[in-house]
Amino acid sequence: MTWFKKRPFLWFILPGFILYSVFSVYPIFSAFQISLNQWDGIGVKKFIGLDNYVELFSNKELFSQLTGAFKHSVFLFLLNTFAVLPAQLYIAYLLYSGIKGHRFFQAMIFSPQFIATPVIVFMGTLIFDGNIGVFNKLLEAVGLGEWARPWMGLPDFGMFIVWIMVAWSGIGVGMIFFLGAMKMISNEVMEAALLEGASYWRRFFSIVLPQIKTTVLNMLILTYIFAMTMFDYSFILGGVSGGINRSVDVMALFFYRIAFGDNSAVGGTMNVNAMGMGTTIACVMFAVIFLVAVIQVITTYRRTED
Amino acid sequence: MNLKPKRSYISSTILWFYSAFTLFVLGYMTYQAFRSKKELLSNTFGWPDVFNFANFKKLFVQADFLRYFFNSAWILVATLVIIILLSSMVAYGIGKFKFRFKNTVLLYFLIGLMFPVQLGIVPIFLLIRDVGLLNSQWGVIIVLASGLSMPVFLLTTFFEKLPNDLYESAKIDGAGEWTTFMRVMFPLASPVIFSICIIMSVQIWNQFFVPLIMLQSEAKKTLPLMIMKFTNNLMYNIDLAMVGSVMATVPILILFFLFSGKVLEGVASGGVKG
Repeated sequence: MTWFKKRPFLWFILPGFILYSVFSVYPIFSAFQISLNQWDGIGVKKFIGLDNYVELFSNKELFSQLTGAFKHSVFLFLLNTFAVLPAQLYIAYLLYSGIKGHRFFQAMIFSPQFIATPVIVFMGTLIFDGNIGVFNKLLEAVGLGEWARPWMGLPDFGMFIVWIMVAWSGIGVGMIFFLGAMKMISNEVMEAALLEGASYWRRFFSIVLPQIKTTVLNMLILTYIFAMTMFDYSFILGGVSGGINRSVDVMALFFYRIAFGDNSAVGGTMNVNAMGMGTTIACVMFAVIFLVAVIQVITTYRRTED
Repeated sequence: MNLKPKRSYISSTILWFYSAFTLFVLGYMTYQAFRSKKELLSNTFGWPDVFNFANFKKLFVQADFLRYFFNSAWILVATLVIIILLSSMVAYGIGKFKFRFKNTVLLYFLIGLMFPVQLGIVPIFLLIRDVGLLNSQWGVIIVLASGLSMPVFLLTTFFEKLPNDLYESAKIDGAGEWTTFMRVMFPLASPVIFSICIIMSVQIWNQFFVPLIMLQSEAKKTLPLMIMKFTNNLMYNIDLAMVGSVMATVPILILFFLFSGKVLEGVASGGVKG
């Protein structure tokens, strides 16, 4: 008891420590342990070593689903990095420089953050649907009626539609973080640049961007983790199977399909090995995230040190 | 300081266009919610014969909107209370006391930032099933509340910077550790706690994945799951999907716009800093 009395911090840390350990950290290790077994989640576990990993990469059907899902996740990441991130920086800089009505724009651009994903997908339907969509009506109205398509149902556009929704709803978060970082830049630096006669964009590239570099790199890591684990948009749009020809399939959905939902055409060993193969995919996902995140963190800190 | 660009009208136009688009979609959805299913499907763009509240009535009476709403609200409140209490205790313990392995403990709490809930969901699912909380809102609450990394990180930085004098003067006045924490430290952290509340609320309220896996009976499900049920069968349920989306979205957005200044400030200050 005296041992505890001398260490009062333990009383503060322990409750959170236990909850966090049991439900956030333990599952990661447990997932790896389960992935070494053949198991349906109810019956007897059968230890099979790395066979699940071997099967994931050698079974043609599974491997093609894995690469397909992975490609889509990477596609999402690249579009977010090269289109959304610059847009977020651009808008944040405009708001930072106090453009007319910046409070209103700030609230407007952040607001989709409060809309639940199923509603966002439904809004997408209202716009891009073949029959009730506004977009097709608009095309007809300007005389481009022959371009009208059931946009939501076209496999070629699948991931693009997903990205548009993700971008529209997610652009505000990064923008607010960048804006917050920009507001911490000291006034003297900006004033000095103004006196030197640096132009609007010159100030952006020479002062603002270097100053918020760490925030940008942190955002990049978050974007990557988001793209690799994005689930709800694809699930709501394409169902468990990932849409027509798995056109909107992503890593997390592939994982969900094998572990929980099982009305796919794969059949065979999937049913008896749902939990084993499911956690195997989770572990591969984790490896993919972890490797890139570590590389990003290392390069971030190396750069900020000089 | 005049920081404005020279030709700001181009940029303004882009921002206006974006805002107008968002407002249009929201307005369009709200407008359609007042029309009957037949009108929606056959004459989507026409003017309504009459604005009627039939869809709203159907949502509240037939589709039991309030039940889903209260399910969501209960999960939000319970999760928030647990997260805030536990994370501020942990952050206070790490930030204010000196002990060995302090940095290791902090690092341990931070690794969670790299593990999204999806990765461990199978073991979590099995764990929750084994303790008998499957299909119970407590299962969802516990799983969501265990995501302590972000709040611990933000609050630890706050408590570390807090001057020690406050702690010592509370001690001199005879307050115990717990009283000092509850009466002095916790209230001091309220600005940071406020921004954490907002960030977490959005995440919990719109949480899709965990409830989808944990909650199986219709009586326990949350708002996002309700809307997905309607949108899954759009031809049949478009009126409910429309009015459900409006009811799940518009009130929250109105709240946000009323307090947007404070909310945005809070979120920005809780942002990812280097």
